[in-house]
Amino acid sequence: MKAKTLILLALACLLSASCVKLREKISPTDIIIASTAVEDRVKMSEVFYLNHYNNKVWLIAEGGYSFLVGADSHVTTDPGRMDEMLAIGLRDDDLFYAHLGDIADTKAEYYVTLDSLLWDAKWRYVEANYEQISDYEFIEKDSKMDPPIVYTYEDIVYPFFPVVGNHDITRNGWALWSNIFHSSFYEIDVLVFLGNGEMAFDHLIFLDSASGTLGKTQIDLIKKGVLDGKYDDGTSLYRYTFVFTHTNIFRPQFNEFASTFTREETFFLLDQFEDWNVTCVFCGHVHTWDERNFNGVHYLTLDAMCENNNPDPGDYLIRVQVDDDGGLSYKKVHMDYAKKK
Amino acid sequence: MKRIAILTVLLFLLSPVVAPGQTYSGERKFDGKHKNEIAGNLVGGYNVVTGVIVGETGLYTRHFTDRWSLTAGQQVQFIKWLYSFDVMGTYRLPLKRTSIYFDVHILDNIYGRWGTNEFIANGSACWEANYVDFRFGLSFIHYSKYNVKGEYQFFTDKGYTEPPTFIFGLGVNIRPRSNPWNLGFFIRNYDQFYYENWNINWGIRAHAPLTDNMKIFSEFNIRPAGSISQLATRYETSLKVGVKYVW
Repeated sequence: MKAKTLILLALACLLSASCVKLREKISPTDIIIASTAVEDRVKMSEVFYLNHYNNKVWLIAEGGYSFLVGADSHVTTDPGRMDEMLAIGLRDDDLFYAHLGDIADTKAEYYVTLDSLLWDAKWRYVEANYEQISDYEFIEKDSKMDPPIVYTYEDIVYPFFPVVGNHDITRNGWALWSNIFHSSFYEIDVLVFLGNGEMAFDHLIFLDSASGTLGKTQIDLIKKGVLDGKYDDGTSLYRYTFVFTHTNIFRPQFNEFASTFTREETFFLLDQFEDWNVTCVFCGHVHTWDERNFNGVHYLTLDAMCENNNPDPGDYLIRVQVDDDGGLSYKKVHMDYAKKK
Repeated sequence: MKRIAILTVLLFLLSPVVAPGQTYSGERKFDGKHKNEIAGNLVGGYNVVTGVIVGETGLYTRHFTDRWSLTAGQQVQFIKWLYSFDVMGTYRLPLKRTSIYFDVHILDNIYGRWGTNEFIANGSACWEANYVDFRFGLSFIHYSKYNVKGEYQFFTDKGYTEPPTFIFGLGVNIRPRSNPWNLGFFIRNYDQFYYENWNINWGIRAHAPLTDNMKIFSEFNIRPAGSISQLATRYETSLKVGVKYVW
């Protein structure tokens, strides 16, 4: 009788928790079965990437370049920190800005706020880097092409590249996230013109790990080698490879209660990152800073930039600097925005 | 016999695919007559990383006294290239009509497919009442690569020691624990040969007598990924079916 009472109480707690305000943040029923499937996300992402991104998104760097990484902004009604990240990237002329997921909590209003913010940020980016030559046409300000390439506003790729996080898609939030960002599994090449007249390619890999697993479709694609970038003799096309994903590989401390990868998938990924000769893997998810090396691959887990988790100003972003001579370094970047009182 | 056959068929019908598991569903305490137990089971199922799972598990338990016992086991999962060896020492503390088991579990997993060796030390306490059991404990997990790109090179790196991992488990049976047969539900973040960080697995378990010295047991295990992040996603489902013999 006692056992039955306990079970009924547990079920009642589960059901009531799923009905109250907590639902904005979490979905207790999804502990058993989730409503968003990683397989569907990856299939959609692949199709979108092949149809819209392929041969379109190339980043070009003259010698050295830098990029900015942030994680877990959990945008709700106050997008201050997200806005600051994009402003810092523009101010310091970073080549691109990567976001490691949980960009907003799952509510339509929050995504409307985020979408507006990104539209404004793109306009500021276009103003800073492009010259408008007609109502609909733009050319790059420092273009060395003669004649310069003419872009429409839609053609200009705003270099903000996110991956999806678990809070982005709780309770089918994929519909909201994908409406803005479209693809959760993709790659981008950086074409680097070196000073000696040669070129190098750096590789950016964005993995969908929001569900705590890459899922069969993504794993099968990886096993097929779609992200390998290797020549026939097995050597890599790429100088540096950077991986961006949400779920952390390493748990920074004992009292981290978020799901990490399961055992086999952890070992599969560690092995795969070595095979790709990855320079650095960037993760979020646990809202705690962690840095370590495992078998020659560097792993950085970023603290949350969310003002609810970290209301005071602090060093929540990372900037990676790739020097003209190929030297690599990173530093933390300070954010001034404080939570509104 | 008819009841056993029905129960076995029912378990298979409920289990679309098959899982490694443990022998906690039955009576663990010394029955006063048989000091030795041997259990073996086959495992089948599906895992998103490796595909089909096929394997076997073998366990031997020696009851030294009414309180102290030692279990040693091994597991092979062929397609994962997973080879496991473990030993577990147990002290049983009677508490009224229930028992608290204090277990120290040492486990080594060789994940050959990814050239990784995982070593685990776990200490836990399991309270077993007539219908329910709770387990709490801590794991210390260390793993390292032993093979890089096909070159034989033992322990190429110092590896990584995880922060202590909290383990928890809950099991509920429909019959009293001393009943010859039983059917139950479990939810936990570990299994006989793995300890997860924050991923729960759950399923049903059953056992029934075949003879005075032998019983059949089965466990259907659903092991999703991302459960504690509220995105439980298909990762592994498995079924184990085995027999346990005591003498």
